[in-house]
Amino acid sequence: MSVIELEDVVKRYQSGTETIEALKSVDFRADRGEMVTVIGPSGSGKSTMLNMIGLLDTPTEGHVRLDAREVTDFSEDELTEERRTGIGFVFQDFHLLPMLTAVENVELPSMWDTSVDRHDRAVDLLERVGLGDRLDHTPGQLSGGQQQRVAVARSLINEPDILLADEPTGNLDQDTGKTILEELTRLKEDENVAIVAVTHDDQMLDYTDTTVRIVDGVIREVSRP
Amino acid sequence: MSVASYLWRYPSALMAWRNLGRNKLRTALAALGIVIGVVSICSLGMATVALQQQANSQLGDIGNEVTLSSGQDSATDGVTPDQVEMMENLAGDAAVVPQKTNSTTLTTRNGQEARMSVTGVTNAAALYNLTSGDAPTRLQSGALISNDTAQTLGLELGDPVEYDGRLYRVEGFIEESGSSFGPGGGGELVLPLSALSDQQYYDTVTIVAADGTEAEEIGTTLDDYFNTDEEEEVSIRTAGNAQQVGGFLDTLSTALLAIGGISLVVASVAILNVMLMSTVERRGEIGVLRAVGIRRIEVLRMILTEATLMGALGGLVGAVASLAAGLVIFNTLTGDPLAALDWSSSQYLVYGFGFAVVASVLSGIYPAWKAANDRPVDALRG
Repeated sequence: MSVIELEDVVKRYQSGTETIEALKSVDFRADRGEMVTVIGPSGSGKSTMLNMIGLLDTPTEGHVRLDAREVTDFSEDELTEERRTGIGFVFQDFHLLPMLTAVENVELPSMWDTSVDRHDRAVDLLERVGLGDRLDHTPGQLSGGQQQRVAVARSLINEPDILLADEPTGNLDQDTGKTILEELTRLKEDENVAIVAVTHDDQMLDYTDTTVRIVDGVIREVSRP
Repeated sequence: MSVASYLWRYPSALMAWRNLGRNKLRTALAALGIVIGVVSICSLGMATVALQQQANSQLGDIGNEVTLSSGQDSATDGVTPDQVEMMENLAGDAAVVPQKTNSTTLTTRNGQEARMSVTGVTNAAALYNLTSGDAPTRLQSGALISNDTAQTLGLELGDPVEYDGRLYRVEGFIEESGSSFGPGGGGELVLPLSALSDQQYYDTVTIVAADGTEAEEIGTTLDDYFNTDEEEEVSIRTAGNAQQVGGFLDTLSTALLAIGGISLVVASVAILNVMLMSTVERRGEIGVLRAVGIRRIEVLRMILTEATLMGALGGLVGAVASLAAGLVIFNTLTGDPLAALDWSSSQYLVYGFGFAVVASVLSGIYPAWKAANDRPVDALRG
């Protein structure tokens, strides 16, 4: 069963008097333990699709299902709750909070949730991405690759079903990018999480299970191994 | 244990504390605005309290007195002993001091002259303060004389003064009352009542009450007893001065507090500006918070806490600075710096702090609301 599913999703934006159709009848799904890479030229609707999958944006038409549950018409607060419990995010420019230490950044998504103490899991995740000796460093004291590994650890803190990565290697050199991809692959299996990544980075295709090519808001090609 | 590790239990407070620490200069300048606002409110408030105390202590001598004399419809030329007796009955615990007055010219041995009023009184202690020692409650043979008149005439304790052919020894010098309203403003000679025994009635009766309010009550009671709407048997005057001055000081205090309030309004606009700027700058970050599942209410709380912390910080520093200012103000105006700690003046420290926090929270509401309700997908774009 797919952990996330888009069915016949259309997204239109109003830009001035012009209506832009960013997604035109998109069908998409991803399973646990699967890495799906979304590729396509700039402005093709990759990021819009990722926003739909990440419940950051709602479709104009169509359905979004999480674990077969219809979430299309959820309110902003309900979507927030779903993101908190079920979805992890990794961004191109890391988006760590500069005034928090590495371990605090990892704990951030669960910080307001006083019912669970995620500190041990945060430490464990940082150790697993090789930053066990950098727990109390602030982002300013870490390299780009280290910051992205903190971000990966953060995305997994709440044991999500889906990890969304928007150009996760975009700001990293080739070798560092490779390390991140290897870690994502390992965590995908360890944590049994679906990874959906948007990328321009060809080396990512070596790690992916499924590749989705999107052009002009339409999915042109899906290749599964 | 650091502040941060304690705040960890309160995520909004922890985040707010860390955010304020990111741009310390900006935080300090915004808080400085609050400090200035609080200091102006507190010190102006405390200054009016000091002025009030100062005014009360100067007016206190007459503020609590009721002065009675013969009314315009009285059959007698003065207040009769019977009326005095009735006043004593009606005045309760307050001292009733009947006086006879006249005037005379004192001549010294070296020929210097001074014109002065003469007051015949028994209970001198109720009316007069001496430069040294206490005035007698029963003045029987001696005399009291205004301090400056005594200096002009070169009189010393024990020197004789002559009035109506009799000699009285100077027993004390009357202290200046500090205001031109009180007795002793001009030259005054105080003698036993027996010195003016040729006058049948009393010219004035002074009733000394505990305070202005009691004086008013006694005045009303006596007025009800002696006078009707048509006939004034006894003229009764209470010193409304204290009330008038009090009223004036209340107005002054309101005006001064309003001026202080303006500076606090300016300070809260500064906080509003700082909070707006910092939330606009952090838009992307707030987008990340929202994306990873931080609720709107939690973002709202975080930013409100930032504003509140800033206000509380500024308010606290402001209150401490105001206390120092208050000590100086009271020392200057009343000579008693510790009176600043009295609740009547130190309450302004509490108000100042409270206003600072409230103003900061109000200033934080809009930026917090704006940040919390930004769509995460828009906010993430920065």
